[in-house]
Amino acid sequence: MNYAELQVTSNFSFLRGGSHPDELVEQAANLGYMAIAITDRNSVAGVVRAHQAAKATGIRFIPACRLDLLDGPSLLAYPTDITAWGRLCAILTKGNIRAEKGQCHLYKQDVFAGAEGIKFITIPPDALNARFDFDDTFKADLKEYQQVLGDELYVAASRSYNGDDGKRLHRLSQLGVPMVATNDVHYHESGRRELQDVVTCIREKCTIRNAGFKLHANAERYLKPVDELERLFRQYPDALKNACEIADACQFSLDTLKYLEPEWVSPDGRTADEHLAAYTWAGAERMFGENIDPKISEQIDFELAFFKRRKLAPYFLRIHEYTNKAKELNILHQGRGSAANCTVCFCLGITPVNPTKSRLLFSRFMSDARDEWPDVDVDFEHERREEIIQWIYETYGREHAAIVATVTQERHKGAIRDAGKAMGLSEDTIKRLSGAIWDFSEEAFDRERIIAQGLNPDDPHLHKVLELTEQLMGFPRQLGQHTGGFVITQCKLSDICPVMNARMENRTQLEWNKDDLEALGILKVDVLALGMLTCIRKAFDLVKQHYGRELTLENVPQDDPAVYEMICHADTLGVFQIESRAQMSMLPRLKPRIFYDLVIEVAIVRPGPIQGDMVHPYLRRRDKIDPIEYPSAELEEILGRTLGVPLFQEQAMEIAIVAAGFTPAEADQLRRSMATFKAKGLVSQFQKKLVDGMTAKGYTEEFAKRIFKQLEGFGSYGFPESHATSFAHLVYISSWLKWHYPDVFAAALLNSQPMGFYQPAQIVIDAERHGVIMRPVDVNYSLWDNTLEEKDGRYCTVRLGFRQVKGLNEADMQLLILGRGNGYISISQLSDAGVPQAAIEKLTDADAFGSMNLNRREALWEVPALNDKPIGLFTGQPSESTLETQIALPFMNPAEHVVQDYAATGLSLKAHPVSFLREQFNLLHVNPTGNLSNLKDGDQVKIAGLITVRQRPGTAKGILFVTIEDETGFANLVVWEKTFEKYRKDILQARLLMAEGKLQIEGEVIHVIVKRCFNLNKLLGGLTPIENDDQPVLTLSRADEQTAAVPNDRNQIPSGKTEAKDIFHKGRNFK
Amino acid sequence: MMNKRYVSLWFRHLLTDRLALRQPELKDVPFVLVGAERNRQVVMAANHLAEAQGVTTGMAAADAKAIVPGLQVIDYIPGQADKLLNALGEWCIRYSPFIAVDLPDGLLMDVSGCAHLWDSEHGYLKAIVTQLISKGYDVRGAMADTIGTAWAVARFGREKPIIAPGRQMEALLNLPPTALRLEQVILDRLQKLGFHTIKSFIGLGRTAMRRRFGDDFLSRLNQALGTEDEPLQLLHPVEAYSERLPCMEPICTATGIEIAIKTLLEKLCQRLQGEGKGVRTAILRGYRVDGLVIGAAIATNRATHHVEHLFKLFELKIPSLEPALGIELFTLDAPKVEDVEPGQELLWSAEGCGLADTSLAELLDRLANKIGAANIHRFLPQEHYWPERSIKTSASLKEKPATPWRTGRARPSLLLPRPERIEVTALIPDYPPMLFIYKNKVHHVKKADGPERIEREWWLDQGEHRDYYQVEDESGQRYWLFRSGHYTGDQSNQWFIHGFFA
Repeated sequence: MNYAELQVTSNFSFLRGGSHPDELVEQAANLGYMAIAITDRNSVAGVVRAHQAAKATGIRFIPACRLDLLDGPSLLAYPTDITAWGRLCAILTKGNIRAEKGQCHLYKQDVFAGAEGIKFITIPPDALNARFDFDDTFKADLKEYQQVLGDELYVAASRSYNGDDGKRLHRLSQLGVPMVATNDVHYHESGRRELQDVVTCIREKCTIRNAGFKLHANAERYLKPVDELERLFRQYPDALKNACEIADACQFSLDTLKYLEPEWVSPDGRTADEHLAAYTWAGAERMFGENIDPKISEQIDFELAFFKRRKLAPYFLRIHEYTNKAKELNILHQGRGSAANCTVCFCLGITPVNPTKSRLLFSRFMSDARDEWPDVDVDFEHERREEIIQWIYETYGREHAAIVATVTQERHKGAIRDAGKAMGLSEDTIKRLSGAIWDFSEEAFDRERIIAQGLNPDDPHLHKVLELTEQLMGFPRQLGQHTGGFVITQCKLSDICPVMNARMENRTQLEWNKDDLEALGILKVDVLALGMLTCIRKAFDLVKQHYGRELTLENVPQDDPAVYEMICHADTLGVFQIESRAQMSMLPRLKPRIFYDLVIEVAIVRPGPIQGDMVHPYLRRRDKIDPIEYPSAELEEILGRTLGVPLFQEQAMEIAIVAAGFTPAEADQLRRSMATFKAKGLVSQFQKKLVDGMTAKGYTEEFAKRIFKQLEGFGSYGFPESHATSFAHLVYISSWLKWHYPDVFAAALLNSQPMGFYQPAQIVIDAERHGVIMRPVDVNYSLWDNTLEEKDGRYCTVRLGFRQVKGLNEADMQLLILGRGNGYISISQLSDAGVPQAAIEKLTDADAFGSMNLNRREALWEVPALNDKPIGLFTGQPSESTLETQIALPFMNPAEHVVQDYAATGLSLKAHPVSFLREQFNLLHVNPTGNLSNLKDGDQVKIAGLITVRQRPGTAKGILFVTIEDETGFANLVVWEKTFEKYRKDILQARLLMAEGKLQIEGEVIHVIVKRCFNLNKLLGGLTPIENDDQPVLTLSRADEQTAAVPNDRNQIPSGKTEAKDIFHKGRNFK
Repeated sequence: MMNKRYVSLWFRHLLTDRLALRQPELKDVPFVLVGAERNRQVVMAANHLAEAQGVTTGMAAADAKAIVPGLQVIDYIPGQADKLLNALGEWCIRYSPFIAVDLPDGLLMDVSGCAHLWDSEHGYLKAIVTQLISKGYDVRGAMADTIGTAWAVARFGREKPIIAPGRQMEALLNLPPTALRLEQVILDRLQKLGFHTIKSFIGLGRTAMRRRFGDDFLSRLNQALGTEDEPLQLLHPVEAYSERLPCMEPICTATGIEIAIKTLLEKLCQRLQGEGKGVRTAILRGYRVDGLVIGAAIATNRATHHVEHLFKLFELKIPSLEPALGIELFTLDAPKVEDVEPGQELLWSAEGCGLADTSLAELLDRLANKIGAANIHRFLPQEHYWPERSIKTSASLKEKPATPWRTGRARPSLLLPRPERIEVTALIPDYPPMLFIYKNKVHHVKKADGPERIEREWWLDQGEHRDYYQVEDESGQRYWLFRSGHYTGDQSNQWFIHGFFA
């Protein structure tokens, strides 16, 4: 006797199933089932994983689905062939599209219409009625099903130990529809029942204590041994036979799907390969001129031949199509990824990175030996990517194009929250527990940290929560949309996979994620968004407008030594990628002089090389302190370009292949297992294999371990050389713009905010430092965006736009600009132009009436009076307000103005706030930051400034980096963990921080190693006048002070005004 | 007309003080109350220790915790300030009958003509503040002719807390505008214009001010100065259901007590009847000549204003009331009253003999008072599969089941509180018994159904599941039997009887 389990709910029926699809399949294989199906509710999201697990274990897998209908009993559907599969996907698509995301509304008629070739099992109600029989409605529905579906219909018979199993089976046998034995499986082994109860609680939003009958009464819904099932169904042997019969009939395998990958339909009869070749050669002529270097044409021939062999031409043509469209729409774009850096992509204009320059050789990424799919990600301007996405939908049709899904998984924090809540832990305890987990860590719970949070790890209930949390981790929670991965097919998408509505309007997506698609050999293309491209496009536009120069990503002059000089001095605020603290302190050490140096710079300040301890060896070799040598001759080829030190992900993987004997597939698996945080066991298995393999070949164990560490670091933030190359190109272009047109760069950067590490205040200060004159927001001159005005010296002046003023909206400001005419001369004209009073008030806050000779206070005094504009009979007459006697408003000192500027726009062109405190700082012997370079390494210094960034990188062992800013420049503070613990309050609360410590000067890199910190927020309060501060304190009488009848702590009396310190940005915190 | 005087009290740490009073272990540690505001966890209140370390109200909870490691975080429960201020207001009635709650953290008192009892206004205010401080509240108080000025000085004053009559203007001049209880928009505007104290704008023209800051602004200013009246929303103490019976002569006899009880009950019930309410609990107190207070309490299953019935309940307690030298004053309080459902007219009807029947309730009351409430049970279903937990006892006749009785699975009408061991003969592994021996009697099973497998509620206890069988013996009696766990080979200690079907 044999058995096939046909009713299986995996955890892709979100919050219903208690096991992963692969666990279920593996268990079924262990039990010797002939086949297993997965029947998730109105979804096939988990079938690919099950399919792969089945291939690995040798059991036959039946992709199927449970259709929950709005107007009838649920049906389990098993497609018998590929067209039936297509019909099933079409049914689901129909249900998905008519409902909101996450739901699927299906009716009987939908099923009947697509039923051909599908076997069905209907699920009878859970309970019998008072006559120990099924309800009449069920019987009527069944009859209807039977009429339409005929012999393809079965009814599910399960023995779930509910006490009336005997009666139920008896009644089922009387229905006249053949019975199929199923076990309504929800978990692969009975021990998972606890987790299944917990996910039920999460679903029903209750706790385990009050879940009651929402849970199952027993733990019978697991995969049982075949002989046990035989015993359970001994009276109904046909039920078992029918299960096998259905399984036999369903020979459809997901593997056959890949042959549906469409051919590119040629417009003129030439093949896709011919088209691709034509485009490529045309492009090559454009890029390299008439006389193409034979080396290049050889390379092109090689690549085209490779694409032809791998039938990849349609794929590249499609990317060519939409990047072309982007060009047409004037949207900047740049390709990256393993295949994007080939000569063909360069010729097609997919990537502007010239492969001959960057020394990237295509064969390094793609070869016949490595059976990998090409990976081309194309970045677009983030503000305009949606245009491309919609163009793709329109051009290919929603039936042929959809976004790939991402499966949102339970991660540490989410899992502890969900499990904790379900187990009835208080919000507070849950928070403590999640506090016991390191961010970004893949570690499990650490006893020490749990105890540190004041919890008892030995408490059985808590123990159970942690155990369940561990199990819950990695469970899928919902299907989201991929950031930009598209599948485009010639056949209907719904023939392959159900399509559903995405959360965002006008978007549709698949149920499968990129791994699923890859496993089935279905190609995706990535349409991604990149903020820096928006900034660059805006900069190009401004350059064209004000300097009459047409720039493109391709024609920006390369290899400009002045640009590299600027980069070497870490003068890179705002520049793509290399603007972070870590990058900036690396630049003067690495001293990039050529493009490839930038590639290394981008890649080196990343968890991979840092965790692998590769940074310092590389720098030492680069500085010729250490000799360049290779661990072995075989690695010389791999490591040659990085002086013998592996820096890129590809290198680490190649080492695994060459030096540790991994197959390419294994190396890839290793990389993947690093990226998923659940595959712990697998990882340590790989570690052993890698280290053993390498030591066996004569490498030192230390080197092997470093390679492994490095791979581990790449795991979560994989950053291969091909990506680094593309990014380096944007690094160069943004640096070039910053060097040649700091005015344009600042304006474009401000117009693309929020983006990058820095606040507008820092961008403005940096531009001023580079000789750009900045002008304040003004009702008579500003536009919404920051704009360039006439040239003053080398550069144009930059006029701040209304977008810098907090709380204004663009539509109101367009009214203002429209009504401007020859310029406003009174505030009431703004009101006449239709600008709302609230907006005018915001403009006064921003001190935007300078051209009317009104300061913010005078302007604000005028604003409320706009309300009583004479109406009716009195229209046109002067309002009462104009007759008021002029009053003298309190004088506003410059410091107050600066504080208000910060409050309204986050920056001030009048002065730096710290400049007003300089006298006080001098008394405290505080050094201006601009002075630090005149001091010596090791000097004790005291510095103070506004905090701009706090950064605590995961790779830096608890070290906190703080950047502070005063009117003379920046200072970089390094706070060791111990110091941080001691001064944590001051550091976290301070907006104005004073630090004492030792100066560390290493070339151009200056750090202050902090010993002590002081929160000087109080001094910021001093920037605005506090009156009556010297008043005595409220007491009843002297004698009462002892009895404290009325407390007399003056600090506890509120000052009654907004604290000036709140106005300053509290600094951005980065991980 | 007598000059008005007002006191404003400001509880600076109202909620945290209260919590520290309830949980003394919180007294010396920094802690905050955290609630959700626009989907963010925000500090709603912080005690002075937390404040001293830089935690402020409105700060994100995560920030507060980052600043103060080991900060105790307690859930904020909305509406507590109101409750607490009401209670504190009630307490303050001893100082003045006119108290108003001043949300979120203050009280206002009309104290006109009250202070002389404490010799001076100074002594009066000091008494109030000292008392409240000794109760554990961090409080500031001030007195003035107007609510506005008293409020302002209590919060922002730095000199004298008692503002002499007519000196409001002087007291206010140096205070910040926020002391005038203005809206935040107005305050922001005043600050932006550079008006940091009241004196900086009080001299400006009224029309110019109204135009810019609105009528409310002027109204607040006038109220503080005393040129505009401000009504107080007085806190009326809720009149409790309470009756007093002072006695001319001390009562020493049981008869006297009976009469007193009846008199009180009649008065109380008359009033309750008028309001359609009835007693659920009542407390009788007797104030004895020797200063001791004696008492007796009763409780009913249903709200009632039936004097006879209530008296019967008290009657049982009379012997325990020891009058000693005599009782001077009787009081009867009904702390718990409920609406009485309209009387059931029909003597016999489908519902009439059920739980709604008042005579059943009265019978139960009498039984409970005699044999003890612990001996009478009412069972309600609970949402648990595990049989022992599937029912719970209920204290009230009116309690509705939280979940309907389940009918889909056979359950015995008598469930043994503890399953009893039986010996069985059964086919393995999970077939029903063929015979079982219970209390030395052999029962041959003629018919059986099952098994119904019920798993332990793993979050409550550990152990074996049970396989329940419903069996019928040769005499037609039905029993509920179970085997604990899977068949193990040793059947002798696995089988139990757990109930009888009717």
